[in-house]
Amino acid sequence: MKITFGLKRLLGKGKRGQIKEKWKFDSKTSLLAPPIICDLANTGQKNIVFGTNNGKIYSLDKDGAVKWVFDAKEQVDQVELMFFDVETANSIQSSPNTYDLNGDGKKEVVFGSEMGVVYALNHQGKSLWKFKADGSVRGRVVIKDINNDGKAEVIFGSGDTHLYILSARGELLQKHEIGAQIESTPETINEKIIFGCNDGTIHCITQAGHEIWTFKTEGKVVAQPAIGKIFGDEKNYIVIGSLDHYLYALNLEGELVWKFKTDGAIYSRATLADINRDKKLEIIFGSCDNNVYALQCTGEKIWSYETDFWIVAPVIVDDIDKDGNLEIIAGSYDHNIYILDAKGNYMLDYVPGLSGVMQQTGSYTDVMTSEPGKVTGKKIWQYQADGVVVGCAFINETKNIVVNTRPGKVNNLEHE
Amino acid sequence: MAEQTERVKTYIQGFDEAMQGGIPKGHLVLVSGTAGSMKSSMCFNILYNEALNGQTGLYVSLEQSYESLYKHFINMGLKLDNINVQSIKDLSKIDEVVNSAKTVDKGSIIIADMGCIRKEIKDIRVGDNKSWLNVIKNIAKKIKMETNCSLFVLDSLSALYTLSRFENPRVELFYIFEFLRDMSLTTYLISEMPLDGRKYSDYGIEDYLADGIIHLRLTPFRRNVVREISVVKMRATDCNNDVFSLEFKSGQFQALYGGQNPLL
Repeated sequence: MKITFGLKRLLGKGKRGQIKEKWKFDSKTSLLAPPIICDLANTGQKNIVFGTNNGKIYSLDKDGAVKWVFDAKEQVDQVELMFFDVETANSIQSSPNTYDLNGDGKKEVVFGSEMGVVYALNHQGKSLWKFKADGSVRGRVVIKDINNDGKAEVIFGSGDTHLYILSARGELLQKHEIGAQIESTPETINEKIIFGCNDGTIHCITQAGHEIWTFKTEGKVVAQPAIGKIFGDEKNYIVIGSLDHYLYALNLEGELVWKFKTDGAIYSRATLADINRDKKLEIIFGSCDNNVYALQCTGEKIWSYETDFWIVAPVIVDDIDKDGNLEIIAGSYDHNIYILDAKGNYMLDYVPGLSGVMQQTGSYTDVMTSEPGKVTGKKIWQYQADGVVVGCAFINETKNIVVNTRPGKVNNLEHE
Repeated sequence: MAEQTERVKTYIQGFDEAMQGGIPKGHLVLVSGTAGSMKSSMCFNILYNEALNGQTGLYVSLEQSYESLYKHFINMGLKLDNINVQSIKDLSKIDEVVNSAKTVDKGSIIIADMGCIRKEIKDIRVGDNKSWLNVIKNIAKKIKMETNCSLFVLDSLSALYTLSRFENPRVELFYIFEFLRDMSLTTYLISEMPLDGRKYSDYGIEDYLADGIIHLRLTPFRRNVVREISVVKMRATDCNNDVFSLEFKSGQFQALYGGQNPLL
């Protein structure tokens, strides 16, 4: 069985086609976070929405034409402005979120800024409301009906060490002192809010602010927790990385189930997906040790793939080429987008390293050092972008990949 | 033929000669020493003499007030009337100071009195995105962009640490030094030397981030104290690293070489 599988790959029965650029948009400023894909006006037409370093939110159509731009620059008096780092004072450091806040059937765009202002825009980019926190809002704003009362709440953390909960109309409902700056995007489950802090603590609190548990790591926690039934049973687990290089799996009581050590800081949310059809969720994430990792639900490594620099943005798991198999999209600080085979590459028992070497044009380290009979990361396609990749999004309908780069370019890639 | 390096004099007679004429322009120099070793006076004296040559320098004081510094330098015999000395005590009036330095037909020293600026500002709470370090950076940027400022003194790094409470000093210092290097100003960072005398700065990282280190010290001699100065390192400079005695007489610094003790 193993040999047959390996031979198939040697004979080239692998993936076909290539990744090509369809269009490119230049925002003429830096981009710091991935774009999002959404149907804002509920017309079946997808929009690409992202924020920039100079405080603008763009909405592009599927062909890269600008639908609208919102300028989130705040008027600040000259003296107060002196206290900010002028290079990043207006920046939008995370992806916006969308939700039908006012029940009009169309989606609003909600995002926070370095100035500490959270904005809600209608589907045409007009301001509906804004709310000012006392510190920066660097994480993504989460919109969920956490208490199941039929009304959505807007939840975010701030550099002013508070977790805020607003109503869908932007009114302050709750403001909880956490004791450390929050850059992590919160996640919610069963009326609980879970998020990380810059002092390395992961908090689980109620909407009313009562602390349920905390879990301490040794580095800042800026990633969003991923929550899912990783073991395939009824229980949910929290998976979250820390700048202390570890990925942690906790149960909903905040107890450590396992932890996995990488050699670099983990900045972004792990993706949970059943990549090998075992009815359990695998954990796929990037680290600043340059690797993309796929772990079993038990925390054991299935494979890793090494790029040439950090992986800061979250990875995406989807079927890029419509062949019924999952691929992984990972953007690296080495300026490349890597499309990896979600299952990895099985090494032949009797020819160690050969199958991997023949098919991989990227990094061979993992292949050459792997023992036969092991799975390694396998690259299918690679695309060189215009600079450091800060994040990607996938348009399921058109199977296009949208890539944001630090120099301000938005690349739309398609498989053909 | 190697290109001649442009240098800024220290205006210490006998000391510039030990460093090929002075500090290379654009260098970041740590001026390190214990209290009373004349670190501030030496740095201000450089700005003063450069201002006499028509240059503009920025002196950011986190420790002493403008009035206290002014009195001190007058007392040293510096003829401050011969140059344009301006103070920033209120951030809302920074444009007036900039305009003065731009329009006056002589060299300027702009003293940013951070203690006074802090007293003037009561309604701005510093936080994760607002900091006093940003204020210093923005003052330096503005003065550099809008005047012909070429020299910058920060008095002192130790006071900046107290004011800023760095979360990760090694990383943050790296970025501060990068910022200062990008400004292309010849920069003097005054550092209070820890009493154990083992390093020239609070975190040690400044020692290798800086392009140069000038060390001033007070050395007890019998029942007297001698001021001494030496160059610990100076990149792109063939320098004499021996210890010189330092004197200030008749409005001029002098470095005495060869083990001469001014007290003998």
